[in-house]
Amino acid sequence: MPAMLETLLERFRQRDRLALSRLLSTVARGERIEEILTGVGETAKPARVVAFTGSGGVGKSTLVGKSIETIRQRGQSVAVLACDPQSPLSGGALLGDRFRMTARPDDDGVFIRSLAAAGGHGALAEHLPALVHLFEAFGFDVVLIETVGAGQGDTVVREWVDVLVLLLQPETGDDLQWEKAGLLEVADAIVIHKADLSGAERVEAQVLATLSLGTGPVAPVLRVSSRTGAGLAELWQTIASLPLRRGRQKRGRDLLLLAQQTLTARFAAVEAHPELQQLLAAWERGTVTSTQAAAALFRLLRDTDS
Amino acid sequence: MADSPPVRVVLAKVGLDGHDRGIKVVARALRDAGMQVIYAGLWQTPEAVVRAVAEEDADWLGLSLLSGAHMTLVPRVLQLLRGAGLEHVGVLVGGIIPEGDIPKLREMGVARIFGPGTSLPEIVTFLQERSGAGHA
Repeated sequence: MPAMLETLLERFRQRDRLALSRLLSTVARGERIEEILTGVGETAKPARVVAFTGSGGVGKSTLVGKSIETIRQRGQSVAVLACDPQSPLSGGALLGDRFRMTARPDDDGVFIRSLAAAGGHGALAEHLPALVHLFEAFGFDVVLIETVGAGQGDTVVREWVDVLVLLLQPETGDDLQWEKAGLLEVADAIVIHKADLSGAERVEAQVLATLSLGTGPVAPVLRVSSRTGAGLAELWQTIASLPLRRGRQKRGRDLLLLAQQTLTARFAAVEAHPELQQLLAAWERGTVTSTQAAAALFRLLRDTDS
Repeated sequence: MADSPPVRVVLAKVGLDGHDRGIKVVARALRDAGMQVIYAGLWQTPEAVVRAVAEEDADWLGLSLLSGAHMTLVPRVLQLLRGAGLEHVGVLVGGIIPEGDIPKLREMGVARIFGPGTSLPEIVTFLQERSGAGHA
């Protein structure tokens, strides 16, 4: 109901946290995004958007939780989007991250929201930029995103955040083997987490050695222990000193987002299309590759009017 | 995309008992039924729980208590929910609740009390039926 949305937007502009919460749900469902983004108004100042990625168990939630304290001590407000995977079978999700992120219940400078990330998108939650924009328009200084875990989606997340932090931990030599293939290069900062455990220096040395082989600028590597608190202040000093990536690409990225939404909306119209059914059958047989099939789908969507 | 928005449920233990086996089993069952379960964990204060409900835009709040403090903590949660403008959120209570306290909790506004021996489908069905037709 448009009247209801208008009321919500008005309450949002009055800094009503329940209105923010309700609008986050609407956007997360992919509904009325354009109206909402227009309705919340321009952001007074851009937030610093920081995403944390890394394998399951590396301590993303814990580090985000500790970072909330550090950011508050720096005098900034902070919103958190904690993403957990959605079950591909039931569509349900068990979102257990806020358990590890305790904030003072009366502190209005903190807002934590759990998000179910749909399957098939790697670690990427749908409509992430729009959700971030809501936090930004509400006035948060820092937006933290905890991704589902290291995966293909994270290179996409990078385009939508200012700083992508990759977490590694001691005794994960095997992980390093596959992570170095992609994530080390796209990370803006690398944290050797659980640095109070033995072996942290060795992982740090391995990472530095791998990074030195590249030709681009080298991301800072920091040892952090959420248990002892060592390295947390340094991490946030480093993050604050990094350039804001989003600002520079904002226009192009927003357009891309609109294009993606248009394609998604068109998909409903072609879902029963015989051409798509043939394509799916060929893909299933293996006579076309995934890349070819995706390209064919794109052509089909391009030629569809909605 | 689903036809109706997924039901969002915050599950939490308020008070000081450390028995979280039951609430974790319930969390899993609700997830498998397609709901989005936000597990807020052990030793939560009523204030922290109500804050989680607000920030997560939850439809339901499930509280588990095995400490015997339910007649103190549950009214406190209900009062805070009303104060926060969250009276539309349905409240469920699970755990060890003496028979005599059940009508009192219901009168205060608890939608349902699930005691020991409750089957998981019973909880799932209750939430699905009540979520379809509005609740609390």
